[in-house]
Amino acid sequence: MTTHYLVLSALLFVIGGVGVLVRRNAIVVFMCVELMLNACNLAFVTFARQNGNLDGQVIAFFVMIVAAAEVVIGLAIIVTIFRTRRSASVDDVNLLKY
Amino acid sequence: MNGTIPAPTIEYALLAPMLVVFGAAIIGVLVEAFAPRYLRSAIHKPLTLLTLAGAFVITIWQARTGIPTTPSAMGAVAVDGPALFIWGTILVLAFVSVLLINDEGHFVASAAAVPGSAEEERALTEGATHTEVYPLVLFAVGGMLLFPAANDLLAMFVALEVMSLPLYLLCGLARRRRLLSQEAAVKYFLLGAFSSAFFLYGTALLYGYAGSVDLAKINTALGSVGGQDTLLYIGVAMLGVGLLFKIGAAPFQAWKPDVYQGSPTPITALMASGTLVAAFGALLRVFWVALGGLEWSWTPIMWGVAILTMVVGAILAITQTDIKRMLAYSSIAHGGFLLIGVVALGNNQQQNASALSALLFYLVAYGFTTVGAFAVVTTVRDAGGEAWHLSRWAGLGKRRPLVAVVFSLFLLAFAGIPLTSGFFGKYAVFQAAVAAGATPLVVVGVVSSAIAAFFYVRVIVLMFFSDPAADGPSVVIPGGTWAVGAVAVLATVVLGVFPQPVLDLAHTAAQSLFVR
Amino acid sequence: MELYVPILVLAVLAAGFAAFSVSIAPFTGPKRWNRAKLDAYECGIEPTPQPVGGGRFPLKYMITAMLFIVFDIEIIFLYPWAVAFDSLGLFGLVEMVLFIVTVLVAYAYVWRRRGLDWD
Repeated sequence: MTTHYLVLSALLFVIGGVGVLVRRNAIVVFMCVELMLNACNLAFVTFARQNGNLDGQVIAFFVMIVAAAEVVIGLAIIVTIFRTRRSASVDDVNLLKY
Repeated sequence: MNGTIPAPTIEYALLAPMLVVFGAAIIGVLVEAFAPRYLRSAIHKPLTLLTLAGAFVITIWQARTGIPTTPSAMGAVAVDGPALFIWGTILVLAFVSVLLINDEGHFVASAAAVPGSAEEERALTEGATHTEVYPLVLFAVGGMLLFPAANDLLAMFVALEVMSLPLYLLCGLARRRRLLSQEAAVKYFLLGAFSSAFFLYGTALLYGYAGSVDLAKINTALGSVGGQDTLLYIGVAMLGVGLLFKIGAAPFQAWKPDVYQGSPTPITALMASGTLVAAFGALLRVFWVALGGLEWSWTPIMWGVAILTMVVGAILAITQTDIKRMLAYSSIAHGGFLLIGVVALGNNQQQNASALSALLFYLVAYGFTTVGAFAVVTTVRDAGGEAWHLSRWAGLGKRRPLVAVVFSLFLLAFAGIPLTSGFFGKYAVFQAAVAAGATPLVVVGVVSSAIAAFFYVRVIVLMFFSDPAADGPSVVIPGGTWAVGAVAVLATVVLGVFPQPVLDLAHTAAQSLFVR
Repeated sequence: MELYVPILVLAVLAAGFAAFSVSIAPFTGPKRWNRAKLDAYECGIEPTPQPVGGGRFPLKYMITAMLFIVFDIEIIFLYPWAVAFDSLGLFGLVEMVLFIVTVLVAYAYVWRRRGLDWD
């Protein structure tokens, strides 16, 4: 009966992935990445249940820590660029090309 | 549940190089916290260099005292022949990059100050500088060491992040052209986080398939678990996306030119050498140790990726007018050449060892040359900072012949001209690929080498056969950059003329292959 | 049932402490009149009109939030150790101390660099 959780996890991952591709605000893009990481966590915990070992649950801990560190670094970078340009849109980040 | 968990064991001695680097990074943070501002730089510079040198000495000592044949730290880390070779390479390249970082004027005075604001003006006049760069570099190098040695996918994911997170920050710390630098940081961060989410979901699916994230156990499960092929194939594909992104293989190469251009040039040197070496180590380990039994499934995809990467890198490099972007596309193309070596893995023991040793040699040769090339880029300066536009390099050979000759040497090595290190690297990889039956791939490799040679030669022609502009850029060579240039020239020439010792070393390291 | 006696005792103790503190405070505490205390929100900050467009928060809120997230989440590793610390023995203790020390180093950096100062 773990299939439902896997389907939910896949859905969350896809929603996050599509969000990264279509959203324009860097903060929202970043939140979508975090959604993808959480989808991974759900998959890990579900598989831990399915496989009958604890590895997946422990991995979920590590993923949370890494996600937190990533949040802090990401927000720092995004806020810095926002202060410079007064815009958090990824479309405005266009000085580097070709 | 109590009493059922045996206490784990950790072989601290085997992990010593990593522990030294991470320990020094933590000491670096303490220095930042407690040392007065005027002392910090003076403490960091020797500390960082000594740490990297010390870790290198320990690595050598480990390689001489006997290489373990089983994974260490409860199977999380594998300190085997290739891992030790890669560690040594990364440590030397990081040492050279730090020499470049040590020279003044690369990093921002105050990253939090808005560019052009009074706050930034004040920080500049105070002579403030971000000495946090040194602990960040050490953390990144520690991650680079763990990444190719990680023997389970969780350790590999953590290493990936420990390596990447400091680099995201370092990218945004350039002193000049701060908007570009911040933009590089945002792009690298968003795309890097996106790709690591793919890596992680791939890990989750493989964990679901095999019941473990241990690379060897995944390989065992390939033969024994049936009926779950969907999980397996999607998992492998997503894992591959994460790893190929770090290498900058097409179609995941889009970040590379932007990030390489916008970052402070010494950090670009570190990324182009150290990160590439580490990422290739990890890619090889995953695809050989965990997915070796699935070779028939992933080899065709790898063929496609290798061809696309070489062609995209070589062709787009021709259209560039910016020296750093051109070097970035050249780095993409070299990633493609290295992927040929990955395809050559897998037929039998002897074939594997020769392909692996070819790859290791290529990584060393390319690493030194690329650090040297970026070191030269830092020396050619306009009033507003480094002169990136190719037109500014016109006539450099008449104004500063030595710099132009050195840069030409690096470009020739990139092109793989005989008597430079690049030649033997390419030769060894192509030879291994032909032996593995990947001749069409080698043909594409040779053709794109020829295309690439065109734009390398174009830059050389520009430097020597056009007239210098009246207001041409000045050339400033600080002490550290001198040393970096000298080391890179020496490595490029010595590896091009007497490659045998390093080839032998790579062969010895590859002989034991990755431990399972 | 006997197993639950300590929990019951703890609940009684906690409830007793809360009741005692609340009921004793009006008699022992100082009584100073402050208009803010009588305002609609009892947190002491005077309500201000919402700025147009939702407004922006000063950066210092974000720094505090980020520091909170990082330090809060690091502690997650203490939970598995707390469950199994007796079977992990001295090894687990030493590793945990090392882990806490590294977190402390980060804390020291934040503290010395005035990351904890509000103004």
